[in-house]
Amino acid sequence: MWNSRFDYLYVAPAILVMLIVIGYPIYYTIELSFFNTPASLALSAKQFNGLDNYATILTSPIFWKVTWQTVVWTVVSTFFAFVLGLGAALALHREFVGRGFLRALLLIPWVVSAVAASYVWKWLYHSDFGAISAMLSGLGLIDRPINFIDNTSTSLYALIVVNVWKEFSFAMIMLMAGLQTVPDTLLRAAQVDGASPWQRFWHVTFPHLSGVSMVTLLLLAVQNFNSFIIPWIMTGGGPAGSSDIWITHIYQLAFGRQRWGVASAYAVILFIVMMVLGYFYVRALTKGDDARAGA
Amino acid sequence: MHTKTGRRLLGLSMAVLSAATMLTTATTASYAQSVDLSKWSPEYVKSIAGTKQFDAAKDCGAVVPNDYTGSVSYWYTGPFEADPEIAHTQDKAFWAAFKAAYPNITTDVQSITYNELLDKFRTSLLGNSAPAVIRLQILGGVEFAAKGYLQPLKPEDVGYTAADFWPGALKSVTYEGVSYGLPTNNETMAMIWNAKVFKDAGLDPENPPATWDDVVSYSKTIHEKLGIPGYGLVAKQNAGNTPFRFMPQMWAYGGGALDEASAEPGYKTVEINNAGSKAALQAAYQMYAVDKSVPTSALTNTQGENQAPFIAGKLGMMIAHPAEYAKMTDLASKATGSDKAVADEVVANMRYGLIPTGPDGKRAVVFGGSNIHVVKPEFVQGGKVDEQAVKALICFWDSPEWSTKLAWVGSNPGNINGFLTDAMKERLDTIKFLDVTTSMLPNGIPFPVIPQAPEIMNIIVPDMLQNALTGTMTVDQAADDAATKVQAIVDGGGGI
Repeated sequence: MWNSRFDYLYVAPAILVMLIVIGYPIYYTIELSFFNTPASLALSAKQFNGLDNYATILTSPIFWKVTWQTVVWTVVSTFFAFVLGLGAALALHREFVGRGFLRALLLIPWVVSAVAASYVWKWLYHSDFGAISAMLSGLGLIDRPINFIDNTSTSLYALIVVNVWKEFSFAMIMLMAGLQTVPDTLLRAAQVDGASPWQRFWHVTFPHLSGVSMVTLLLLAVQNFNSFIIPWIMTGGGPAGSSDIWITHIYQLAFGRQRWGVASAYAVILFIVMMVLGYFYVRALTKGDDARAGA
Repeated sequence: MHTKTGRRLLGLSMAVLSAATMLTTATTASYAQSVDLSKWSPEYVKSIAGTKQFDAAKDCGAVVPNDYTGSVSYWYTGPFEADPEIAHTQDKAFWAAFKAAYPNITTDVQSITYNELLDKFRTSLLGNSAPAVIRLQILGGVEFAAKGYLQPLKPEDVGYTAADFWPGALKSVTYEGVSYGLPTNNETMAMIWNAKVFKDAGLDPENPPATWDDVVSYSKTIHEKLGIPGYGLVAKQNAGNTPFRFMPQMWAYGGGALDEASAEPGYKTVEINNAGSKAALQAAYQMYAVDKSVPTSALTNTQGENQAPFIAGKLGMMIAHPAEYAKMTDLASKATGSDKAVADEVVANMRYGLIPTGPDGKRAVVFGGSNIHVVKPEFVQGGKVDEQAVKALICFWDSPEWSTKLAWVGSNPGNINGFLTDAMKERLDTIKFLDVTTSMLPNGIPFPVIPQAPEIMNIIVPDMLQNALTGTMTVDQAADDAATKVQAIVDGGGGI
């Protein structure tokens, strides 16, 4: 009994800090979401408007356009980052000369600062002087620069490519760790039984990766829902809002337009979505513990 | 204000005796009518520079005695690492001079970067820990005046008169008829072009396009003849560079966001979809979408991204600050090999001219600069504002001498008597094209002085441009969509 009381005492400072730096901002954001905060009034003079901010957001066609773009951004980025990460993990799981070097090389995108990477990619994509267009032009494949990020049809996908490049290494690391748990004996037994490489992967390796895959996918999804740096630096959500996602839209409403009330309501909606994803993440993480506890 | 009355009486008496004597014996900080704005031109600016001496310590001593004991806290964007040495030197010299003039006034000064100042100030106001005095960019103060954080402050409070400042600048500190600050420095942009590019394209190398319609045709000619962008259009979202370049075009065509270009703006009438505004938007659309004579990257470019192609001789013309020549010279000095030869040639062929006019001969430019404000005591650290110390600092900062020296590199004195100083003469002698950029000042129009202005200028105007240029909407639809948004936020509402 006394021991558990001391346990609470030990974690109390951490909980207090969390309440101050996480709990209060969440509370204040939820409170602000019920107020109108026009540019002509100080925050202390904010006007209560009930659920108006939520109604304004949910009835706006811009919100649904941005939501669709957020879904595309998150799903496509997560899928391709995972698939590329899985491919790289499988390739690097084998012994071969230069494996360590290649692993280090593939980790570079994850290690590089997102801000620096965004600026570099912005210049690679540049619609007038971009390195990619210059290279393709030099090879005689194009006669005018490709418009990657100044085009409403391609801007979001151009950003997704950068995002996948930036985060596939993370999936690779996670899955490489998962591959260590696949028993060699099972793989050898399957080989002796005449299973093809694909059959060995699908029936032996992949089932052992399901737990880590679920965690990786959820972490990538959460990370992508919250992505800000790449779209903000490279396009600022443009052109004409074609690469706006929830986070960039919320940021612009709050800090570009000083519309704290609406931005807070928007953030609360995003918070709810993130909590749902977080619930599944925690469930995936504790699944193994529950199973062990049950056993 | 006995001191102020005394100064006026003294000035009147002296004027009666002799105008010439008045010029040399003025003992106040007020120099109204010394500069004739109706004669403003590059030649006039040169002719008046260095014609009058000022003594800030003595003049401000007439407003606040030099032996006054007190304290003042002050935030501003001072010189940082990237700024030229002269900016650091003048900044240090100012604080030394202020200390010498007011040895018993203690100062608590913070220099905060341009991008951090507004957010830091907002935060400090919420925590009642703001400075007593703050200098903000020209559009920054209105938000705080509207929210009730600033004290009324007019030129007469610190020994000057309205005639000592640009009318447009005073407009920028007036909210609902009350003045909440004083201009410290003002500048306008100019049209900059590469004479060699013009010559190679068969255009007159020594004269800029006279009208905005000429800009469209020049840009097309340059693109067709040389295969490079003619005009450095900037249309990025959420970037101040965009309205600073597009609004002059809109005003010249007879448009505007609200009625900010009119003589007596009320900021209630939405004009962003009037015929003039649509004509300006159509001209931008013509260059971007039809002629393709401007950078394709204009939608994601700031002005910074125009500098590289310009110094490489790959851009014909652009709108930029007075300091752009220094920037290009700096870039050329850092270039190497064959790039160096190209960059040097560009610098040698760099020309400055007036911003083009609209079809009716109207010339307009954004009135830029900074203003100084006084915060109400309840929001200041310690809950007190030492009014005399505040007045001494503002009088000194805004004196002809120091408002010139502190704006050495990229701006001009907020106090127009600064144009009479030796410092101004030295600037004109050493800063190329300064006479051209200063001569645009009378054409300066401040952005609407309402708290919603940043959203209108930085969000709605760029959105309108992008909607039209990308073909997401027609020109008419984009302008009407922008008008709906402007009206909504002026009415206190607005969607997302």
